[in-house]
Amino acid sequence: MPPAEDLIFRVERLSLTYPGRRGQAPAQVLTEISVGVERGGALTLVGPSGSGKSSLLRCLNRLEEPTGGSVMFDGRAITEWDPRELRRRAALVLQTPVLFEGTVRDNLSLRAPEVPLDFSEPRLRETLSEVGLEASLLDREAATLSGGEKQRVTIARALLREPQALLLDEPTSALDPPNATLVIETVCRLRQTRGLTIVVVTHSPELVRQLGGALLYLVKGRVQSYERLDRDAGGAIVDQRLQAFLAGISP
Amino acid sequence: MTGAVDLSFWQVGLALLLVGAIIVISARQALGLERDLAVGAVRALVQLYLVGLILAAVFSAARWYWVLVILAVMAAIATHAAVSRLRKPIPGISWIAACALSVSTAVTLAYVIGVVVRPHPWWEPQYLIPITGMILGNSMTSAALAGERLQGDLAARRDEVEARLALGFSGREAVQPLVRASLRAAMIPTVNGMMTVGLVQLPGMMTGQILAGASPMVAIRYQIVVVCMQGVATALGSLMFVRLAVSRYLTPAHQLRRYLL
Repeated sequence: MPPAEDLIFRVERLSLTYPGRRGQAPAQVLTEISVGVERGGALTLVGPSGSGKSSLLRCLNRLEEPTGGSVMFDGRAITEWDPRELRRRAALVLQTPVLFEGTVRDNLSLRAPEVPLDFSEPRLRETLSEVGLEASLLDREAATLSGGEKQRVTIARALLREPQALLLDEPTSALDPPNATLVIETVCRLRQTRGLTIVVVTHSPELVRQLGGALLYLVKGRVQSYERLDRDAGGAIVDQRLQAFLAGISP
Repeated sequence: MTGAVDLSFWQVGLALLLVGAIIVISARQALGLERDLAVGAVRALVQLYLVGLILAAVFSAARWYWVLVILAVMAAIATHAAVSRLRKPIPGISWIAACALSVSTAVTLAYVIGVVVRPHPWWEPQYLIPITGMILGNSMTSAALAGERLQGDLAARRDEVEARLALGFSGREAVQPLVRASLRAAMIPTVNGMMTVGLVQLPGMMTGQILAGASPMVAIRYQIVVVCMQGVATALGSLMFVRLAVSRYLTPAHQLRRYLL
């Protein structure tokens, strides 16, 4: 792991348990996860469904409360951040794009009262073009957009909060291949142009290959393997299931 | 002005005979309603007789503490009924319902009894018990409707709530649209009732007063008071219930407790 001060996320022995209800046993979702993400780096979370990938992602911006271990963000424990501030800095994009009633403009400029954010016309246009959308979409009803457009609007909405990290939960799983490719290109470009840290849960080998960074393979809530893709590009991956995954076969 | 015709046991028996006739028809036509009708009639008979006996005893004892005991029992039954229809248990929901129903009823009651009607003494059971029953019944129905809607919406719209949380909204801000929808759903029957009161059906209390020989002009004045207090009690009861219930789904760190959904 690189030196601590270079890490934007530092996860140590993180565990997550859901309380059992009415006589049921508590559900252990994540067990003793330790991983770091460098500033401007990328981490891809892969693994079979139910392996805890999304839960780990949601622990990073504290939508879930870890029951053990710690998460540091930008040098401070996430419990020391105001959760609202943390979530603006580590912006999460959900699997199914959630757009609210109203135009694209309304959706982009959504904000909690008394939060100073720049939603000026040039900023909105600029951010839309960053995710590969036309500025003419601003006054379209959000409900009339295609799936791929919706997902890119939610990414733009996250970017307008000036985040340091972008957390993406299966951003391409609800999209057809051409739209998925557009979203993948957008995400990879943002890592380069903005120096954004990207943490993504995905089943898409194409996204993993294009994004680079590191790969964390989870099985049943535990780390099965951790691989770096940047340095030893090609051939260095030891875990056979990961090789299979990257070759396009779901693990 | 004359009082109501005093019904004898035989006259009550004649009413039950009518239900018996329907049971026979149901059996002959294989409608399968016999059991429910019979149980319903017997329950109504037994429950109302018991209530009648208890009320008669409380009226003649004329002690404020007995009146309060009756009110407490009514509140407990209303609390149970308000939460019994929820599809999934919410931790502490019985206390929440008890709190919302008691406070909303107490506030409305204090105003109606202390400021509007002003009976002597203030705990006069003839006023306090039926008025509390009407207020509590409305609060109960609206809290049950609001709770059901809130729970359904939280499950169906959880992505929407979490999307708002992820954008930096507080927990309270994130659920506000759902709270509003639940309150509207809870208030609709009362508001509709206010719109058509007296046009379709004479309200129960007004009917009772007219049957008991009161002038319709006195009866409508009481009914106007009742309509107002029902509006207040449903709004207060469902508002408190929804605000408290929704807080069970949120944490101080602005998280949605998904495992409760």
